[in-house]
Amino acid sequence: MRRYLSLYGVFFVQRLKILMEYRVNFLIGATSTSFLQIGGVLAMWVVMRQIPSLNGWSFDEVLLVFGLVTISESITHMFADNLWTLGWQYIRSGEFDRFLVRPIDPLFHLLADRFCHDGIGNLLVGTALVVKAMSALHIPFTVATALYLVIAVLTGGAIFIALNLLTASSAFWLVDSIPVTFLVYNTYEFAKYPLTIYGRGIRIALTWLIPYGFASFYPASYLLGRNVGALAWMGPLVAVLFMSLAYRAWKFGLAHYTSTGS
Amino acid sequence: MPVIRTEQLTKIFRVVRKEPGLRGSLKALVRPRFENIAAVNQVSFEIDAGEIVGYIGVNGAGKSTTIKMLTGILVPTSGSVQVLGRDPHRQRVANAREIGAVFGQRTQLWWDLPFIESLALVGRIYEVPPARYRQLLKDFEDTLGLSELLHIPIRNMSLGQKMRAELAATLIHEPRVVYLDEPTIGLDLLAKERIRDFIREQNRGRGTTVLLTTHDLGDIEQLCPRVIIIDAGRLIYDGPIATIKERFGRHREITFETSEATTAIELPRDCTRLAAEPHRLTLRFDRTRTTASQIAAAVMEQIEVLDFSLAEPDLASIVRQIYQGGLREVEGNPRS
Repeated sequence: MRRYLSLYGVFFVQRLKILMEYRVNFLIGATSTSFLQIGGVLAMWVVMRQIPSLNGWSFDEVLLVFGLVTISESITHMFADNLWTLGWQYIRSGEFDRFLVRPIDPLFHLLADRFCHDGIGNLLVGTALVVKAMSALHIPFTVATALYLVIAVLTGGAIFIALNLLTASSAFWLVDSIPVTFLVYNTYEFAKYPLTIYGRGIRIALTWLIPYGFASFYPASYLLGRNVGALAWMGPLVAVLFMSLAYRAWKFGLAHYTSTGS
Repeated sequence: MPVIRTEQLTKIFRVVRKEPGLRGSLKALVRPRFENIAAVNQVSFEIDAGEIVGYIGVNGAGKSTTIKMLTGILVPTSGSVQVLGRDPHRQRVANAREIGAVFGQRTQLWWDLPFIESLALVGRIYEVPPARYRQLLKDFEDTLGLSELLHIPIRNMSLGQKMRAELAATLIHEPRVVYLDEPTIGLDLLAKERIRDFIREQNRGRGTTVLLTTHDLGDIEQLCPRVIIIDAGRLIYDGPIATIKERFGRHREITFETSEATTAIELPRDCTRLAAEPHRLTLRFDRTRTTASQIAAAVMEQIEVLDFSLAEPDLASIVRQIYQGGLREVEGNPRS
């Protein structure tokens, strides 16, 4: 574990050196995603000016939901973006073989190979939204809240990574897994809003099937004092469950790869 | 004790058989017809520590599939493979520490990083102690001329520079076994020489065992006392290169471009006519029985020659000859 942490550090520093070689690229990448998110927030603000509450949720309360899921997304964006391109960049080109002749875990190698700076913008916007919402709503920022926020965001990040890993593993058969990943990933748009505005089906799906709800709605509800019962605390458990499921899928895909070579 | 040992090593791929055209593609999509293809078929050989062995065969013969099984990337369908006493797939990480692999024209280095940074990262992955790392860099300097490459990103390197960088990165953890897949492909003569010198140096100096695939007869003549030839997945020859050269490398082809028709010409002794075009004459001869100059003189006496060229047999034609000669060659060899 310690070896992998220090190795990640080395990969990370080397990656920064590459990014610094293309400074303009870096700046554009790091800020472009934030413009995208700010656009989304503005659109929501325009709508919410007309309707002061969304199914009982004020603009600031929705901002908290929106902000939390944006931070969670930024974690997978920064640390696991290579999952998207596993198929066409690594498997199809045969570059994946390089990972398998090295004495480290191939999944670690894949993830560490490219820290993606595009996620930084989302991290900043998400954090700004959460801070703005919390101060507007007068939620006291105590040690307990801070701890809860950190756990919530890490849980959300883990859920994002697990779902992307799960769908990316299909690359071992399909080669191009981007459509599959995109299909699942994109449902996180729903999790930018309180789940109560949706029908039962979508609510259940976003809780148990594609559990982005634990990256936004449930922790936000808890912080706002809205009763969601045990679901306020179940996030980490769900994240661990999905992570182990996704890792199994990865292992299964890897076994397929090593027996077919495609 | 052998460093590499394969026994009846076999890899079968199940592929979808497609008929040509859009209709064929659709048919294959709806009701796929599978076909089993043995990419590697019951191949057995042993390689001892410190050997350099040329592993040759035409494209698609099964060379890469064999190397993928030896490196632990692919699992054999049947048969067994052992490298340094381990199963390379089941003990992938332990195996990976002791092997190095260069795969053709692919790079294992980071495209955008200056070479020195890529190399440092590789050193960290293999946990090469810093003092040892510096020592090896110094050792490699003479033959590979690394100092002029250190600050260039891989993307800006020429093909020859890239291969030098690649080899340094592959050997920086002092692997005991190295697999080199076409290390000299596309390089000019000087660059080839350099790569060959380095391989030889590593083999003699460190006792590194090398398995080399190549289409370049020069690589084999200069580096490999022993070759293993496979064709259509089967081992068809395992033995000294000298035997092959003697038996199959004796023939040369000489082609004359003439101003007059060549049909009426009387052939010189000890050669056979291959192509039958009016203004071109291609003859095949055994160089132990006659010489190119004797043939050329005999032809020029009879006819006006505008141009002529001499061709050595290439690997593909030798492999074809061996294959047509059946498996007799292999049986005659005590090794297999």
